[in-house]
Amino acid sequence: MTPKYLGADGIDGMDIHGLIYQYTAVKDLADDFTVTVQNEKEGGGYVFQDKEDWSQKYGMTIRKSIGLPYTPLAHFKTDGGAIATTGTGSVENAQVVYLYRFDRCFDPQSDPNCPDYVAPLPPIPEIKLYDALDDEFVEEATKKTDQDLIDEEEEKEQKEEEEEEKERLEVALSISENVLTLDNEITQTSIIDAMNAATNLTAYYVAQIPSIVYRDTLVIKDEGYKDSRLLRNLAQDQQHNKMVEAQYQ
Amino acid sequence: MKKLIATLSLILACSPILAENIDITGDVQSRCTINTDTAGYYGNPSAHTLSTTPADGGSKPIVRIDVSLANAYYAQISYPTSFSTSPSLSDTVAWTGSVAVAQTSSSDMSGYQAASTVLNSGSLRQYALTIAGTTWFEVASTATYGQGQSKPFPSGSYKAYVLAECIAQ
Repeated sequence: MTPKYLGADGIDGMDIHGLIYQYTAVKDLADDFTVTVQNEKEGGGYVFQDKEDWSQKYGMTIRKSIGLPYTPLAHFKTDGGAIATTGTGSVENAQVVYLYRFDRCFDPQSDPNCPDYVAPLPPIPEIKLYDALDDEFVEEATKKTDQDLIDEEEEKEQKEEEEEEKERLEVALSISENVLTLDNEITQTSIIDAMNAATNLTAYYVAQIPSIVYRDTLVIKDEGYKDSRLLRNLAQDQQHNKMVEAQYQ
Repeated sequence: MKKLIATLSLILACSPILAENIDITGDVQSRCTINTDTAGYYGNPSAHTLSTTPADGGSKPIVRIDVSLANAYYAQISYPTSFSTSPSLSDTVAWTGSVAVAQTSSSDMSGYQAASTVLNSGSLRQYALTIAGTTWFEVASTATYGQGQSKPFPSGSYKAYVLAECIAQ
């Protein structure tokens, strides 16, 4: 029977330097009975073994302390603690208490006074680069305030947009027109071909139209120009100038 | 001759003291130490009874004796037979008790109780400490007032002592 009891447990940096165990051996005087308190070693063997031979002895409670050289906790196998018994009898109310010290320099960085302590680099602050273009206050301060300029720009942008729209529309229409034209040509060609197949147009091609000259027969004779309205107008203009000049005299 | 005597007396007068007491000191540390492991407490299960039994609300005192030298000491432990502090008692108190080995630091000490002897009409038990190590002795004590007349103890504080000694063999 090898019941498991508390083994060494803790954290890195602990050195076990002893233990106190206690149990009650329950047995008859005449029986042979041995009890061994032990802890396995990582990698094989035992860190310690303490055997009590209760054979031919009265069973009773034992409390014992065992000193150990400072042994790192890592040497103790996990769940390797046990109270092993042989013979006739039993162990009751067992307790195993490990005594330890903590090596504060196990991790040298845990204490600046440790020999291998290396001063850590100071934390690098996160530097936020200032971009004036992203600054809302700068944007606000540089905002255009001349309404005429704003309107002009808006108009210009609007015109550009309209032109682009127009170009896009033209391109779209030309594409569709080409497609329709192509389609029409194909259709008309096929119709003409069909008509040609049914009609003989040779007679039209061979018809001759006679050449006739139509001469001009109307002749107008030069009989002179008798109208004197032009001279009257000039006289009126002269009279008018005289009246205007008279106002400034 | 006179001269000679005179010269001799002069020599005697100039010589240092011829006897001196020189101290030799030393300390002896006991190889047997006695410590109180657990203080006792009297429970009061009835008006006329004081008892250290846990079932009666009491607590048994435990004495720890460490010896570093085997077969050198006797441990003598006695349960109380009188109060060291108590209210005025007009009647007699009947004392009973026991001493027992509670724990040892080695299985080799398991025979201590069987090998012990009783002295002083049973109130004192002597153990031969044959093994170097630690032994815990547990003492039980009961005081009954009024010689079986069930007389109540007067109210107040009571104290009694367990005496533990290391006696050289």
